[in-house]
Amino acid sequence: MTPTPDSSLVDDALTTLLLNDATLQSLLPDGIWWDLAGKTDRPPTRFCVLTHVSHTDVPVFGGRGYEDYVYQVKAVMLNALSVDIKAAAHRFDELLDDGTLTVPGYAFMAMFRESRIRYPEVDAENASIRWLHRGGHYRVQVAIPT
Amino acid sequence: MAILTGRYGEVLLDPAPPASPGTPAPVAIISINAWKASFKTPKEDVTCFGDTNKVYVPGMKDVQGTIAGFWNSVAGGAGVLFDAADAAVPGFLKLIPNNTAAENKWFWSGLANLDAEIDCTVEGAPKITSDFTAAGPWARAVGP
Repeated sequence: MTPTPDSSLVDDALTTLLLNDATLQSLLPDGIWWDLAGKTDRPPTRFCVLTHVSHTDVPVFGGRGYEDYVYQVKAVMLNALSVDIKAAAHRFDELLDDGTLTVPGYAFMAMFRESRIRYPEVDAENASIRWLHRGGHYRVQVAIPT
Repeated sequence: MAILTGRYGEVLLDPAPPASPGTPAPVAIISINAWKASFKTPKEDVTCFGDTNKVYVPGMKDVQGTIAGFWNSVAGGAGVLFDAADAAVPGFLKLIPNNTAAENKWFWSGLANLDAEIDCTVEGAPKITSDFTAAGPWARAVGP
């Protein structure tokens, strides 16, 4: 049997790739969060939210052949300039579409965008405030080495 | 015994088995996820006037099937099937539905001529399939 790799390391590799990028650090200074923005010393107004959309284990005889993930990667900005959220979404695409992840225990197969995300959100407490969301759904495929 | 899973199936191939009475040494093919074998016997319809139902006479058992999985460039992966498709001699194929069975580990084996196909799309792992037909007697056995 092939040893079972740790799937959370794929999440970690994606997070690390985005966290270490200087352009994103500048555009999204309030960090990269999974699912919901957390509390910082001030309310976050420019950040990235990662969401796990789907995952499939593709079996072969003797164990898992490869894993197929879809992540939602989006920038969220409060009353931002259009140019800034455009730049953040474009930077995601530069890093992730046909990009590479290094994940311990896996052999990288592919990473690419499947669809684009763009929508505004009216603040729940103040209707004059607009949150902008932009990014995409990215598919990541990693194989279990044989 | 109980119903066993196909998750631990296995397909083994000796691409150049020794002539009888030598013993083949099949090796597991990597990244295979399905196999199917058919042992159907064609039947000749010999129904005659006066028969109260159709009557058939069995012909000769036809052994054939399919192996499927993913393209894996490592030695022992899909390449062995494409080599077998080009081989001048039939390989020795062994098909196991569950290789973890503690008792009564069934398998089918015999000489086979193999074809190979690959299906590559932009969205996923390239898939390989191989159709085989018997090239000698096939048997079902129990054992390692």
